[in-house]
Amino acid sequence: MNSYVDGRVEPSRRLSRFLVFALAAIIGISGLTARLFYLQIANGTEFSALSAQNRTVLQSIASSRGLIYDRNGRLLVTNVPTYTVKVRPSDLPNSRREEVVQRLAALTGVNSADINTAIDGNPGSSFDLVRVADDVDKATALLIAEAGADLPGVEVVVEARRHYTDGALMSQLLGYTGPISAEQLAVLKTSGYLPDDLLGKTGLEASYEKQLRGTYGSESVERDAQGRKIQVLQTVSEAKAGDSLTLTIDTQAQKDAEKALRWAMAQVGIKRGTVIAMNPQNGEILAMVSLPTYDNNQFARGITNKEYQKLLNNPDKPLINHATQAWYPPGSTYKLVTGTGAIADGKVTANTQVATKGFLTLGTTRFYDWNHRGFGPCDIYCGFGHSSDTYFFTLAGKLGIDRLAYWAEQYGFGSPTGIDLPGEVAGIVPSNQWKQDTLGAAIFPGETYQAGIGQGYDVVTPLQLINAYAALANGGTLYQPHLVKDIIGPDGQIVETIKPTVLRKLDVKASVLKTMRNAARAVVTLRHTYNLVDLPIKIAGKSGTAEFGLKDRQGRLPFHSWFVGFTPGDPYHGSFDKTDSKLVVLAFAYDSRTKSNAGTEIVKYFMQLYYGIKKDYRNQLTIGNHYQSN
Amino acid sequence: MGVIRAEPARMTDWAAKSVGLAWRAFDWQLLTYAALLGAIGLAMAYTNSVEDGKLPLEAGTTFTRGLMWAVIAVVAYVLATAFDYRWLKTLAWPIYALQLGLLVLTLGIGDGVGGAARWISVGPFTFQFSELAKVLMIVVLANYLGARQGRLDSIGSILGACVLIVPPLVLVMLQPDLGTSLVFGGILVGMLWMSGASLKWLLALGALVIAMIPLAWTYVLRDYQKARLDSFLNPAPDVQGAGYQLFQAQISVGSGGWLGKGLTNGTPAQSGFLPVQTTDFVFAKLAEELGFLGAMVTFLLFVLLLWRILADGWRSRDAFGTMFAAGVASMILFQLVVNVGMVLGVMPITGIPLPFVTHGGASLVSLAIALGIMQSINIRQSKAEW
Repeated sequence: MNSYVDGRVEPSRRLSRFLVFALAAIIGISGLTARLFYLQIANGTEFSALSAQNRTVLQSIASSRGLIYDRNGRLLVTNVPTYTVKVRPSDLPNSRREEVVQRLAALTGVNSADINTAIDGNPGSSFDLVRVADDVDKATALLIAEAGADLPGVEVVVEARRHYTDGALMSQLLGYTGPISAEQLAVLKTSGYLPDDLLGKTGLEASYEKQLRGTYGSESVERDAQGRKIQVLQTVSEAKAGDSLTLTIDTQAQKDAEKALRWAMAQVGIKRGTVIAMNPQNGEILAMVSLPTYDNNQFARGITNKEYQKLLNNPDKPLINHATQAWYPPGSTYKLVTGTGAIADGKVTANTQVATKGFLTLGTTRFYDWNHRGFGPCDIYCGFGHSSDTYFFTLAGKLGIDRLAYWAEQYGFGSPTGIDLPGEVAGIVPSNQWKQDTLGAAIFPGETYQAGIGQGYDVVTPLQLINAYAALANGGTLYQPHLVKDIIGPDGQIVETIKPTVLRKLDVKASVLKTMRNAARAVVTLRHTYNLVDLPIKIAGKSGTAEFGLKDRQGRLPFHSWFVGFTPGDPYHGSFDKTDSKLVVLAFAYDSRTKSNAGTEIVKYFMQLYYGIKKDYRNQLTIGNHYQSN
Repeated sequence: MGVIRAEPARMTDWAAKSVGLAWRAFDWQLLTYAALLGAIGLAMAYTNSVEDGKLPLEAGTTFTRGLMWAVIAVVAYVLATAFDYRWLKTLAWPIYALQLGLLVLTLGIGDGVGGAARWISVGPFTFQFSELAKVLMIVVLANYLGARQGRLDSIGSILGACVLIVPPLVLVMLQPDLGTSLVFGGILVGMLWMSGASLKWLLALGALVIAMIPLAWTYVLRDYQKARLDSFLNPAPDVQGAGYQLFQAQISVGSGGWLGKGLTNGTPAQSGFLPVQTTDFVFAKLAEELGFLGAMVTFLLFVLLLWRILADGWRSRDAFGTMFAAGVASMILFQLVVNVGMVLGVMPITGIPLPFVTHGGASLVSLAIALGIMQSINIRQSKAEW
């Protein structure tokens, strides 16, 4: 087989081996070709898309958030540039996380547990930035920005933060912005919200989020595999600044309201209270104070967990707007409903004399008047003016629970007023149907009596109550209260003026309301509210003392104090026959424990401040009980 | 047949009397295909340099280094062609020693990434001796198997070839360089097959190797090598980790389409999406920028090149030539299939270069030497002697 030629070994070539080798080569290369065809041609478009998406992403350009002004153009919130520290979890190796979090904690002062919570609670994917520290100072920001590889995955971003000019004074109204939650993101992702976005969390910031936010722009950005920006390729759409708001709030009135409320609360240690002032002609809220409150700048800065827990655990609920988000028994202020209803339904006339006594008896139960001697025969002016309980027991009895409920609903009780603030509650107007539905029993006659004087099942929000009196003051129009007057575009032009929304025209003759206004004036002139009548301005209104909770050792219940009052169009010389009132004011003092009505004193002080009355008519508040006054 | 002719030494004859014959025997096609593949490699180096934002002829770019190595490769090719390959048979054992020496040297003073010792640096130049070792191994095996034509029915010759290949294989594994050691295996299998070794024993040997895979998994493979194999078998869950290169490579390839994005229009290396795109993943770049058609042209050139090598081997009157051709063809085919298969996600990730196209001096120069030897064999097959 072998031939040796020149040291050569004649090869024993076998064609079959060559052919098999060639076949193997053909199979191998054909396989590669097939795979290549599959990737490039059959699935090519999919990979092209992936390839483009790989390098260029659409990034949002934040729009500048709209501002908020009071009715006189005072700026209530501004946007301040701040440094925010963010972490991209995908770039933070797990092995170094502990160390990085510790260093960040030391640098920013945010405690490490909060940082870990933020990273773990990240609503987006691990490629999205998570905010861990807001509003860090410049030196720290630079230090972190330059740390680079020492703090992998950590980035410093310049952001606009909200600064609220008056802080706590307006917190309940303005609310605040905060980081978007996972639930919100799920809903808002399609509207262009980002996982590390800020949005209005409560107050007007939340209810006007859409207008204030504006429209985020977008730019197509080339980035590297780590997600870092290399360059902006093109701006796809410009960011459009948000609209600004002009409120109905008068900062001075707001300050006066807070001052009056704080004065009363401080004297006798009242823990909660509310003052609202509004224009009954259009539902504009001039002032709305709820105490205790919080500083919304704390939230805008990024509240610490500890601070937040403190607010949450406060039994007087500073995060709640007690004017709209809580309900309380209205007490005697509710006699407006009973009186209006009884006259409108023809159960009594303005001048019908009703015998008032120390108590009324139903079966074996006595229903006492606050004045255990009674007032003798009383018409509506005497009954409302002295706030006679037996007078209104009688009227409520004549009306029955369902007509009483009807009139309550006419005045707007039992449903939210629709004010432009989130979280408003509805209150309860008891009726046969309501009790059947909720408690499975019919109303007892005694419960109708209680309902007639604003006790028992009746609960209202302070806003509902002032709105009812506003309808009385303006001659029977129930407006939807509102806080925003105008929406202003980024160019300073008014985009929309909020027109007064009429909820309802009360189903009552004008004369009935005129009677009730004068009855409310009688409350003042009969000196039920002591020296309120001495003020140079004319005030009509109604006080209320609403019992709640459990009896003390002497068998007495704790109580809240209310007063709702309004002035005529010309506060000095006007008449309550007219319906031109420009101001209704409500004060509510929770668990007030005062001898005289704290609500009356608060409204009095507010009126003095609001109208610039130099002489001081205030009475010192002392601890006592309401059996001396109602 | 079986005639033994006493031939006088002819080594001095060549230059004097058979220049014309020699040139006729020179395989111009082989040279052309290899040169075209090399040109594709240079084109890829060019596009990478431009995409990195550099001037193509700036010092130190992939392209200028590619050009430099191309020149060196041409010189090496000419020298290897001129060199009478028969000396290789004489020098087979010293060459084997040289090969082992280079690999030991690499282990001793070599540099590499992450504790590996793969290349030797001399000044600004680095050279990966394991590439040259592959060609030297082919020489040694061609000599061994060529000398044993007709005795390959025995297990002894097969085992002998295996024994020869074990020391360099172990040295390469120690670097560690799984890819190159696999190429050694591919060369051995291809050459044994073409040598006409007993099918029975080849099958038995194959069965033995398969049986040893679990042992290799446990004792030989490093963790990163296992991770790569893992990610090959199961690429999706680890797109950011070991499966990342693979995933990105397939995105690059897939985005090429029929005609590709055009040279210099691909994903820049600095963006970090497509790693090692000048070296092991160069085919992803090629498919992205030159498209399906460009890849087909490349495949066609490889097919033609392999055809020429096999034809030259077939034509060779010397068993050494046949065996050498078998070795070179095995090496190129194996590297082509494994490298491209890896980029396309049908083979595990191993650091095996794509012949001619992958940027790398050692690979190119070693291939030039191998093809030069092939030509040397061609031109020294004077039929006139018969």
